[in-house]
Amino acid sequence: MSATTDTEGGRTIPLYWPVQANRNAGLGGLFVVVLLFAIAYGVLFPGLFTLSGFSKFTQSWFPLALVAMAQALLMLTGGISLAIGATVSLGAVIAATTMSGPLGVAGGSVVVALAGLGFGAATGLIVVKLRLPAIVVTLAGSFIVGGAALLILPRPGGAVPGWLSDLLAGNTPTAFVLLLAVALLWKLYLATPLGLGLYAAGDNPVGAYRSGVPVDAARIAAYAISGLLSTGAGLFVAAQTGSGDPVIGTAFTLNSIAAAVLGGIGFLGGQGTMRGAIAGSLLLSLMISVMFFLGFTPVAQYVAQGLIIIGAVALPQLRRLKR
Amino acid sequence: MTDAAPVLAARGVSKSFFGNPVLRDVSIALLPGRVHALLGENGAGKSTLINILSGALPADGGSVEIDGRAAARITPPEARQAGIAVVQQELSLTASLSIAENIGLGDYPRRFGMIDYRALADRAKSVCALVGLDEALSTPVGTLPLGRRQMVEIAKALYRKPRALILDEPTSSLSATETAILTALLVRLRAEGVAILYISHRLNEVMALCQHVTVLKDGGVTADRPLAGTDADGLVRLMVGRDPGDLFPRWQRSPSASDVVSVNGFSAGLARDIDLDIRTGEVLGIGGLVGQGQEDLLLGIYGAIPAKATTASVNGAPALPSSPPKANALGLAYVPADRKREGLHLIHSIATNLLLPAFARLPALTLRHRSAERETVRELAARFAIKGDPARQAQALSGGNQQKVALAKWMPHDPLVLLLNDPTRGVDVETKREIYIMLRQFAAAGKAVVLLSSDTPELVHVCDRVAVMREGRLVAMLDHGELSEEAIVAAAVGAERRRQAA
Amino acid sequence: MSAAGSVMPRVSAILRSRPFLTVAVVAAVWIVAGVTMRGFGAFGHLRYLVELAAVIGLVAAGQTFVVVAGGIDLSVAAIVTVSAVALPLLSLPGDPTGMSAVLATLALSTAIGLANGLGVAFLRVHPMIMTLAMATFLQGLLILIAGGTAISLDNPLVTWLGNARPAGIPVGILLWLAISAAVLVVMHATAFGARIFALGANPLAAALSGVPVNATTIAVYGISGFTAGLAGVLVLGMNGQGYVGIGDPYLLASIAAVVLGGTSILGGLGTYAGTMPGALLLVTITALITVVNASPGWRSILFGSLILGLLLLSGRESARR
Repeated sequence: MSATTDTEGGRTIPLYWPVQANRNAGLGGLFVVVLLFAIAYGVLFPGLFTLSGFSKFTQSWFPLALVAMAQALLMLTGGISLAIGATVSLGAVIAATTMSGPLGVAGGSVVVALAGLGFGAATGLIVVKLRLPAIVVTLAGSFIVGGAALLILPRPGGAVPGWLSDLLAGNTPTAFVLLLAVALLWKLYLATPLGLGLYAAGDNPVGAYRSGVPVDAARIAAYAISGLLSTGAGLFVAAQTGSGDPVIGTAFTLNSIAAAVLGGIGFLGGQGTMRGAIAGSLLLSLMISVMFFLGFTPVAQYVAQGLIIIGAVALPQLRRLKR
Repeated sequence: MTDAAPVLAARGVSKSFFGNPVLRDVSIALLPGRVHALLGENGAGKSTLINILSGALPADGGSVEIDGRAAARITPPEARQAGIAVVQQELSLTASLSIAENIGLGDYPRRFGMIDYRALADRAKSVCALVGLDEALSTPVGTLPLGRRQMVEIAKALYRKPRALILDEPTSSLSATETAILTALLVRLRAEGVAILYISHRLNEVMALCQHVTVLKDGGVTADRPLAGTDADGLVRLMVGRDPGDLFPRWQRSPSASDVVSVNGFSAGLARDIDLDIRTGEVLGIGGLVGQGQEDLLLGIYGAIPAKATTASVNGAPALPSSPPKANALGLAYVPADRKREGLHLIHSIATNLLLPAFARLPALTLRHRSAERETVRELAARFAIKGDPARQAQALSGGNQQKVALAKWMPHDPLVLLLNDPTRGVDVETKREIYIMLRQFAAAGKAVVLLSSDTPELVHVCDRVAVMREGRLVAMLDHGELSEEAIVAAAVGAERRRQAA
Repeated sequence: MSAAGSVMPRVSAILRSRPFLTVAVVAAVWIVAGVTMRGFGAFGHLRYLVELAAVIGLVAAGQTFVVVAGGIDLSVAAIVTVSAVALPLLSLPGDPTGMSAVLATLALSTAIGLANGLGVAFLRVHPMIMTLAMATFLQGLLILIAGGTAISLDNPLVTWLGNARPAGIPVGILLWLAISAAVLVVMHATAFGARIFALGANPLAAALSGVPVNATTIAVYGISGFTAGLAGVLVLGMNGQGYVGIGDPYLLASIAAVVLGGTSILGGLGTYAGTMPGALLLVTITALITVVNASPGWRSILFGSLILGLLLLSGRESARR
């Protein structure tokens, strides 16, 4: 694929890589903060540099990275989802109820993927075609999806085959490899007209429509992909815990928004980059781990997390006020 | 002139919005190799006609023809397919995407379903060269100044190799150099056989560039003829039905000027180190090229953006107001340039818009008096000739009437200092004239009027003094006696021909 | 003649207005359910529904202010919980009426709301982030204070609020009516009310027109904190004990009531007169779902679908930018 996108060193005008480089603009501060937290974590927990320590950390980060991407995708189109957490739960219970049955891991994965794509696309259709506010539709959607998860598995249970748990959440950095793969797929998607159309649809929908961008299709596709990423995160969480839980995803709604915002994604659409969102999720993940190692109780973690999110968002504003 | 069939034509189209006819039986034909001017006041129906020609709106009656094939309506994809490209006033660009990605948007070259960045770079480079865009193709459009974005928009239209090119006021945000590049480009496209529809309020551009003109007035065609043998005054008469000389009221010096706002060493935003006195009884013009800090000067004095000054006196107060409410309390009022974004609450009624400054100043829990409010609204609407039911949404008003609302809402407070940011931009000639008369009346009544304007003739004819800004600094202060368009432009571009007033 | 001429369009405008439509839907559901379902139409049952709606209505009162002003308050559920959990702990020994604890609780919840407002106004944090972060923060604080246990109520005033029925009407409903009257007056008949609509419709134009944007923003979040706190006091009185999670249902409910009542989620347009029947509609739906006797999963699905369906019927936002 690189032949289609990579023009570096070619005889023609370089475009793809300079564009990529420009997308880093404004993210320097975030990258530095992420690095500082990573160093702090490494100092507190030298085990991070062993294969199993690294694997464990990336496993705790991976689902958050997926939902951060899911949320960022929607925010880029000017939307938002309050159903991310419920969708994660849905993915988890589907995985835990299908994979040990006749469908097997492959069949179960397909069902998980289809459920995510289907619910996402349905949400997208309602928001885009019926012009209903995304925040309210997804709030109602969170009840429908959450209800579906409860129907499938009324109380925690089900099972994910042990080998799958070992593969995804064992002492190998499979999660990290998967994350790289997802990020690469995103890069490829962004290099398609529909993917790039997402920015135009979020930033200037009228202008994009006039230019011939399939604005509605780009937005609906974003909702579908967002659903897929969310149920995928659910599958992973089920593999981590070995079973399903119909409310396990609840916290991901807030955390997905927090990670995306920490990563510089704006609420108005068209502002921000996926690499920022992923870095934001890494920052959040590191923060939680560092607090854990510093002996913060889970309660204090809540408090600190709330403060840090506000601080991180407010900091640029405070700096501007001072200037 | 060619006798070729029109590339794009409208035949007897009509259109109304909410029962108000906007276009009545309008016909226009764009021939290859001809630059066709479309003139008319704001609200004459130009934008609606463009939207019908490009498929963005269906016509209520009549037909649109592409290459002689008539259709009741065309869709935007059909129009694009047929090679019709539109450069709208409202840009269609995406700030976070690069120049090249914006130019190709909606029509990317592909390989294996992916955007072929190499081919995109080649094609974008060639159209950028046409419009003189030499920035790196990977530059995000959001970092470009407005004029350069306009050039990207034009490059984007060219990228599609149009056979019919429609340009809606393309030069309003362009510099002189950019305008010259565009003019040369259009001449070349004309020679290549492209049909061009050119909309502009700058009649000298129209006279220089176009061969044929269609004039719209109140939704109907009042002229459709070759430009040869017509002069600018004749065009204005066709557009407004009056002589252009009547546009400006006679200037008279108002008595008793005294300083009401004085700042020394004032800085805000782009504006740097400015010494300025604003006097009662006069209209003070602020001129210069677009974006030289003029707006920041007004906003800073109004307290809307952080500002500092070594010494300041504002209507007796020894410091600059720190916020608009404080500025209002000192007798300042501000009318923004962008009515839709900054001036009005479009989804609220005209009446609510007119009353807002009153609501803003009253103690929070003061009970409203509906009958007194109705009376105030009725008076303001009558005084400013704002037509129609004040319970309608403000977005239903034409640009000129919206501007009147934005100005009228301050009147109940009888402000001493009126800060006006380009109040006649996009306003029809009739309303312009009404506004000029009002500004002179304010001055005569002993108020201070500050008129920031991008329209040099109005600075010359309406103002008592004009301050010219360049690169954030006040570079010239011209008294009425030395006012001329040449003097203002010379100071704005930095030709040191005029001595600076102390 | 001319009097009739001016009244008729006004009557038809009322008939077509969103608040009236919502009232009509509630009335239709009540009549149909009252005829077809045993016990639904009984006075006691309807009174119970209104009492439940009063809590939602109180939370949604502040939410309406915030949404009209162009924001959203996602911390109301946490504030309801804080109020219900903190009130028993704030009781002063020397106060037999319990008034001081109620006032202290309301002051606390208003302060939380004001803190939201400060963040939104001065730190320019997006309302959704500010209030979600506040909710996270409060959640941690609550577990710290209350742990996992329920705290029982020992406050005469609050018990009276939650249980007394002068003339057969629960005090909670009377409280809701009183607050509603105040909210409607403030929203539609004061200068402050006009400012919040202006702020929500176009904050930039409002600022340039001299509206004190920061003060107005802080005030609406303060109001939201106050009404959520009041709802927490009422819910505590009705329940007899406070526990972590007691406020959770009221986040979605408050937003849904606002939107079902015809207030634009984008701000600048709407009325509390629509939110009130919106709250009634919500408890009615919930009651019907309970009557159907479905599993929790189906109940949740039904609830979400009904809200979505009602939105489809009436919640279309005209496109605007």
